[in-house]
Amino acid sequence: MEKERKNGKKEFLLCFISVVILCLLLFPLFWIFITSLKTEKEIFQIPPTFYPHVLNTKSYAAQVGNGDFNMFRSFANSLIIATGAMTIAVILAVPASYAVARYRFKGRNGMLLCFLVTQMLPVSVLLTPMFIMFKGMHIYNTWLSAILSDATLGIPFSVLILKNYFASVPRELEEAAYIDGCSRFLAFIRILLPVAKPGVVVCAIFSFLYGWGDLAYGMTFILDQKKRPITAGIFNFMGQYGTKWSYLTAFAIVTIIPVALIFLFMQKYIISGMTSGAVKG
Amino acid sequence: MKQIKSFFRYENIGLLYALPAFLYMLFFVGYPIVSNLILSLQNVTVRNLVRGSRDFIGFDNYIKLMHDTVFLRAMFNTLLFTVSCLVVQFVIGFALALLFQKDFPFARPVRGLLMIPWMIPMTVTALIFKFMFSTDVGIINYFLKSVGLISENIQWLTSPSTAMTAVITANIWIGIPFNTILISTGLTTIPLELYESAAMDGANGLQKFFKITLPLMRTTIESLLVLGFIYTFKVYDMVYVMTGGGPVNSTHLMSTYSYKLSFEMFQYSLGASAANVLLVILLLVSVVYLKITMKGEME
Repeated sequence: MEKERKNGKKEFLLCFISVVILCLLLFPLFWIFITSLKTEKEIFQIPPTFYPHVLNTKSYAAQVGNGDFNMFRSFANSLIIATGAMTIAVILAVPASYAVARYRFKGRNGMLLCFLVTQMLPVSVLLTPMFIMFKGMHIYNTWLSAILSDATLGIPFSVLILKNYFASVPRELEEAAYIDGCSRFLAFIRILLPVAKPGVVVCAIFSFLYGWGDLAYGMTFILDQKKRPITAGIFNFMGQYGTKWSYLTAFAIVTIIPVALIFLFMQKYIISGMTSGAVKG
Repeated sequence: MKQIKSFFRYENIGLLYALPAFLYMLFFVGYPIVSNLILSLQNVTVRNLVRGSRDFIGFDNYIKLMHDTVFLRAMFNTLLFTVSCLVVQFVIGFALALLFQKDFPFARPVRGLLMIPWMIPMTVTALIFKFMFSTDVGIINYFLKSVGLISENIQWLTSPSTAMTAVITANIWIGIPFNTILISTGLTTIPLELYESAAMDGANGLQKFFKITLPLMRTTIESLLVLGFIYTFKVYDMVYVMTGGGPVNSTHLMSTYSYKLSFEMFQYSLGASAANVLLVILLLVSVVYLKITMKGEME
């Protein structure tokens, strides 16, 4: 009885501490959300207000048809670029990771080493050569340039993560399928892919997030504001309207929306992706 | 014929599956690395970028960089940035992981919510912190003033001595979830019986931490720190968006300065050389990382 009460007290204290930490660490997000709903005048008010006294949704509405800085167009651009990069990464990574998990072919270890090392490359090394290359391929200033370059972020990550999922499928399961008359390809589609599905989801999510969060590639290879991703849009906007914080924070909130949705519905995949080791930090 | 047949025996079929991904990376990553190396030995500017003759000038670009005070400052900044971020985010991450390891109702949902900062695009994080650190509207100045730590607003991002602090703080915010999650996972691999028997032998919390937790977490900690070093060392967006390397080039990292040289000053070869210096340092550190983790990856 006495001990139970003591445990209850301790539990309450731990809950309290963790909520305080949560509020502290997530305060920046709360703060820009509140700011995006304030009027410009209220933002500059001292002392600051911790909820919008005058609700102002103009910052969001004003972005819809606002010439060069059309928030929803850049949002769509980012969606196209990130989805494209995700598709390439998943399509190439699935067979490659299956191969390194199941076969001991010549050059396998060398290939794995290459995938590991490419994850550690700084973008700066690739920017100029890619820039020249895309100009030569006549895809400079198109979505395709950003899609192709963003996919290079997702592929090595996906191969290394998925390899572990495929390796965890028992060989017996596969062999039973062969005995039942499945071809290798059919066995792959019917037996392996369903088991590795959570791994494929992790890869898709991370490849998408890499594409969604990219600034360097999108900004360097796409010059036309109408085709630029939302990150580059924000960066431009900051340069031109540096202190128009109501607009800027609204911009930021819209950029976070897909991330928040992914978090809400696919949290377990994110944690498993992060803990699988080779992730950006 | 026999040779061709033997090549397509069972094991080598795998090569065919792996080839598309590998060739893609070879074309879009391997080739650029080589061409960046060549670029750094030439004198390419905006005039001879796409066509026109390029002269090989040997290591002149690298020599020029070694005499460039901004680049030397950027090297120092990169190291300062990386080490500061690593130390702080590791300590906070470890503390949080230990907290959430305890069994209480909020542990899992709260730890999950803490992942959000890590997922947000860095450009947005940079914007958020630029806003919070701004001189007049910044909540940080307001807070410091109201608790009496400062009497005048600090010009965080417009004075060289404080801009670096602001940038480091923003990056730590992203690093905390990463460290918390990886350490949490490491902690779950330690068998609980160890703690129980230590408790029976009369060990206190501190003793348990130093005699059981830390030694058993060694590999996790090592790979986490090296990986963290690599990913922090090459950070680009955060600084580029928050300060653009300013004021007066005081916050440039090697990555942002390389970008500036190439795409703002159009000194492509010089920018390529700066990127290669960054690359060499990262590759050296990667060797350490590979040594720690390679065993697991090759199996």
